[in-house]
Amino acid sequence: MKKTVIYSQKLEKKFTSYKKKPGLLGSLKSLFVRDYITKKAVKDFDLDIKKGEIIGLLGPNGAGKTTLMKMFTGIVVPSQGTLKVLGYTPSERNKLFRKKIALVMGQKSQLWWDIPAMDSFLLLQRFYEIEETQFEKRIKTMSTLLDVEDLLHIHVRKLSLGERMKMELMASLIHSPEIIFLDEPTIGLDLISQENIRNFIKEYHQKNECTIIVTSHYMADVQALCERLVLIFDGDKTFDGPLSDFETILGKEKNVTFNFSSPQNTNLEVWKSYEAKWDPHHVQVDLRIPEEKLRSVALDILKEFPVTEFNTEKMPIERVMKTLMKNPQIVKQLNGKNGANVGTISTERE
Amino acid sequence: MVHVLKWWQTIKISWSNHTAYRMNFFLQIIGPALVFFFVKYNLWSSIYSDKSVEVIKGYTLSQMIDYHVWAMIVGLLAKGHSAMNLSEDIRLGRISSFLIYPFNFWEFHTASFLSFQILQTFIVSISICLFWSIGILSIPSMSILMTGFLYCLFVSCFWYTLQYLTGLIGFWLEETWILRVILEILTAFLSGAIIPLELYPKWFVSFLEWTPFPYLTYFPIKTFMGQNSELFTSYSVVTIWIIIFCFINHFIWKRGIRLYTGAGM
Repeated sequence: MKKTVIYSQKLEKKFTSYKKKPGLLGSLKSLFVRDYITKKAVKDFDLDIKKGEIIGLLGPNGAGKTTLMKMFTGIVVPSQGTLKVLGYTPSERNKLFRKKIALVMGQKSQLWWDIPAMDSFLLLQRFYEIEETQFEKRIKTMSTLLDVEDLLHIHVRKLSLGERMKMELMASLIHSPEIIFLDEPTIGLDLISQENIRNFIKEYHQKNECTIIVTSHYMADVQALCERLVLIFDGDKTFDGPLSDFETILGKEKNVTFNFSSPQNTNLEVWKSYEAKWDPHHVQVDLRIPEEKLRSVALDILKEFPVTEFNTEKMPIERVMKTLMKNPQIVKQLNGKNGANVGTISTERE
Repeated sequence: MVHVLKWWQTIKISWSNHTAYRMNFFLQIIGPALVFFFVKYNLWSSIYSDKSVEVIKGYTLSQMIDYHVWAMIVGLLAKGHSAMNLSEDIRLGRISSFLIYPFNFWEFHTASFLSFQILQTFIVSISICLFWSIGILSIPSMSILMTGFLYCLFVSCFWYTLQYLTGLIGFWLEETWILRVILEILTAFLSGAIIPLELYPKWFVSFLEWTPFPYLTYFPIKTFMGQNSELFTSYSVVTIWIIIFCFINHFIWKRGIRLYTGAGM
């Protein structure tokens, strides 16, 4: 049994803010009378993360993912509940605890803007008390892996977003943390840079026995990195389980697309039984075929129709996520089943 | 030793940050000097040009000019540091990374202040040489100059704790600049930076001595002019204020951090 590194029970965070009407009058009014609203960003959150796992925290904007990350790293203090990370209470911000964690924020630079990245690394070397030889070795390995050896001595403000992100990653990993929190590490990056960052994280995880918690809106990140997903909606945990379970949460059907060389009759029975969705020219159809029938149905279609191309869905997780975000009522159903390892829930197709 | 290295590296980084923009760096030297010439020098010269005025409350024109040059020097050396960014950093969530590094936020900020002071010492030395070479500043002796420098650096620590406090209020207030402006104006008038304290009524001055204000400018100026006979008292009073403000800051930080939301992440 692997060691638990993050444990939370009934964790809760409330934020208080006030409503302000627009304009000068609104500003004046808000000087005297304020409508305070208390919002629970995270509610009754139970979580158990084991050493070495890569967990994806998913949810729409404002669901509470980042608040969770902030509580895990000790940046914000929980309002209620128990939270232990590596046996420490994060909000006490013990120095030993801080030496064992790292946080990468895709939307916020942690490097000093006006100096070269190497100077920041040297400072972090002192902060984390890293031995000279170790430090040099890590810088060399990571900069080679990320292909940034030539950029170490350039001012951070002169780097491109992709290059800066690589430096951010290096800065966060320089002390070989036991837990790495990645908050949207690929946001705003081009496809190649996204892939580079993903590959680096994957490789780093394989070589070092660390635990990684990642949030991202790019399902490709999640698909490539995470073995386990935790879904948050409106502060509640709605799913917690393996990626494969999440993919089939809305049904075990496979989405298959067929392209034909000529327009087809769309009224045939074969299409109707698999919830066909046609393009306007009737030369492309999306079908939803139960897993066990996939082979036979596909073979039949290939035999009977002039198929020029066919493929199965690459990222079912993206479809599932979209469906859940568009239909929050399904999330409630999931929630009713108590979150973890929920079974299949039938739903209408988008 | 490990701690010394942490501090030293941080001071070096802050130094690079302070000097990253050359134009800004030079303006820091030229700015206060220009203000001095255009405002104070002209103002006092015209006041004293009235034949009936030769001495005002014990100050001749050259002593008054001396006073104001030293006021400018003290302003740079003891009150140069500003925690302007601190409350903004809190409000915009920029202190998040410092809550994660195993080097505390106050340590980083203090190291940054120390490096700023090294820079200011450099700027002030140039300014003193400049004013002395054009003959409008008289330096009593080298030892008095050093005593003044040391006392100013000590006062700067007190000014730093006060600035730090106004910065920490950013946990509660969305904007703290108005507080800062009030503090600046109050300090300017009550510390003797605008006019020597001798020009105020006696009862008011004896009241002021119970506050930290005169120790921020008036006493440091007098030390530079070789007229501070109560150097020990001056040090003691400032020490007490530093201790008081350190305690307040510690308490305020503990309370404030509970409200921190790490915005923008």
